[in-house]
Amino acid sequence: MIETLLQTLLNGAASGGVYALVALGYTLVFSVLGVINFAQGALFSVGGYLTFLLMGGRIGVNGALPGWGLPGGLPFWLALLLAAAGSGLVGLLVERVAFAPLRRRNAEPLLALITSLGAGVVLVNLLQLLMGAEGYAFPHGSDALGGLPDALVIAGARIRTIQLLLLLISAAAVLALSLWLERSRGGRALRAVAEDATTAQLLGIHSEAMVRLAFFLSGALAGLGGGLIGVSVSLPGPYFGIGYGLKGLAVLVLGGLGSVPGAIAGGLLMGLAEALVPSEASGWRDALAFAILFVVLLLRPRGLLGRRTVEKV
Amino acid sequence: MIDNGLLVQMLIGALLGLSVYLPLAAGQLSLATPAFYAVGGTLAALLSTRWSALGATADGGFPVPSLLLEMALGGLLAGLLALLVGRLVLRLQGIYLAIATIALVEIVRVAILNLPFTGGAVGIFAIPQPFATAAGYLLPALALLAVAGWLCQRLERMPLGRAMAAIRDDELAARCMGIDTTRVKLSAFVLSAVLAGSTGALAAHFLNTWNARQGSFDASITTLAFVILGGSRTWLGPVVGGLLLTALPELLRPVGDVRLVLFGLVILLGPVLAPQGLITPALLERLGGWGLRSATDRKTEEAQP
Repeated sequence: MIETLLQTLLNGAASGGVYALVALGYTLVFSVLGVINFAQGALFSVGGYLTFLLMGGRIGVNGALPGWGLPGGLPFWLALLLAAAGSGLVGLLVERVAFAPLRRRNAEPLLALITSLGAGVVLVNLLQLLMGAEGYAFPHGSDALGGLPDALVIAGARIRTIQLLLLLISAAAVLALSLWLERSRGGRALRAVAEDATTAQLLGIHSEAMVRLAFFLSGALAGLGGGLIGVSVSLPGPYFGIGYGLKGLAVLVLGGLGSVPGAIAGGLLMGLAEALVPSEASGWRDALAFAILFVVLLLRPRGLLGRRTVEKV
Repeated sequence: MIDNGLLVQMLIGALLGLSVYLPLAAGQLSLATPAFYAVGGTLAALLSTRWSALGATADGGFPVPSLLLEMALGGLLAGLLALLVGRLVLRLQGIYLAIATIALVEIVRVAILNLPFTGGAVGIFAIPQPFATAAGYLLPALALLAVAGWLCQRLERMPLGRAMAAIRDDELAARCMGIDTTRVKLSAFVLSAVLAGSTGALAAHFLNTWNARQGSFDASITTLAFVILGGSRTWLGPVVGGLLLTALPELLRPVGDVRLVLFGLVILLGPVLAPQGLITPALLERLGGWGLRSATDRKTEEAQP
């Protein structure tokens, strides 16, 4: 009984950690530009597929280059890190094509919802052209995890190592990011731009560079999430990131737009709540995140930890 | 290249575009249209396959008056849902409202997927056909679009439409002028839902099968793209956007698998190249002789000697 509960809680915390990663990605971009990057889900997919290819996976029969793969496979952790960096670079590209042209023209922020979604559609369909619509499974066993055993026994409960790694890696990424934002010079500059871009510019902060940094980090977080989920579950098809992107959006609002602790707390809350849904009702699990979101928005229109803003006339 | 079936789809796209346009004309970014479309479609699919009093025949035929009744009921149910939900969500501002309405779409989608009587992932199939060919659906779709377009045109001269425009320009100022903003926003939201619900009922018969995938997050953004690319300042914009963007993936079919990438590029580049959309009030002004100008434009001209 206790073992099952422990397993359930760990599963919940692990997927909660991934939700927090995605939500933090939204938060970074939202805090500097005040817009939502709807390509986040597509970047999640990109990260999953990059990890797969970097670990030596081969393209399936429906892809553009069937049977093609990178020579030799990288260890799990290195592939994950490089895939995150790669997704970050794709995130930068999304900023260039979908956000920068609108900013230069001072266009309505609403338009960025459409352009970023367009970028997402392009990315997901490029993935489909390259990799085909089929699902991919990562190699399992100790080879895949760099010599670690497939499962551990903790307090009598058998726990998949990858779930534990998922939780640890996302916790480490979230912690590193929060510390960096809080303490470092770069992090402070980013927060200054988030507070007031014009004033930050006057104080000598290159705000355009900070915007690019936010997009890179945001893409890297999404890519990291995609790689982690890919390794722990599988890659069911190029669209798999979109669902996580949506859940991340719910987490984002649940915690309060632009709030880093809110994104983390919201992610964990959502992951745990989903894990506690009994298996008979598992079909309804996907609606739970949005039902919680709905109720929270009605009680606290700015999210759990959102800042209250005063309407100025 | 454009056959009757595609024409009906294009008209459905135009109707959904108008449904997104209505709340936006009152300054409210609601992405709930696919939820109401799904509700209307599911109701029609259930009624026509389960309720024999509507007159579905053994060979899959269906009387036209029953179709019209279903369109009315679909609109009514969606409108009631909007009345209920709107009271709660319309207190939210901007992006919070957008995300709450996405949440509504997802909840409705998962509900249709899991309810015991909606057919699960397969959905409801063999929905009876009131018309033998796709061409038959052109008439009700055109009629619904004509009614919706006429209503939007009329709104510009009615107190409700003027109040919506005032809220879009400045909600606080509108409230200070004594406009009951909650009531006006709710009216726009309910109108939008009625339109989407009726369209769903029609679409369920046209498509012959109906499942949870009909109302998804993707549809939320595609229908918003109809409005943004077509132009959100006049009701003709969403109609043109809906017609063109629904036709585009089909017209691109000859280029093969690259077509969805190209479709994405259009959505990506459209707002950059034409931030106001294709149909702008300025464009209508230039086409003024066609009698498409809104009443307000004419009034301002009269005021300037």
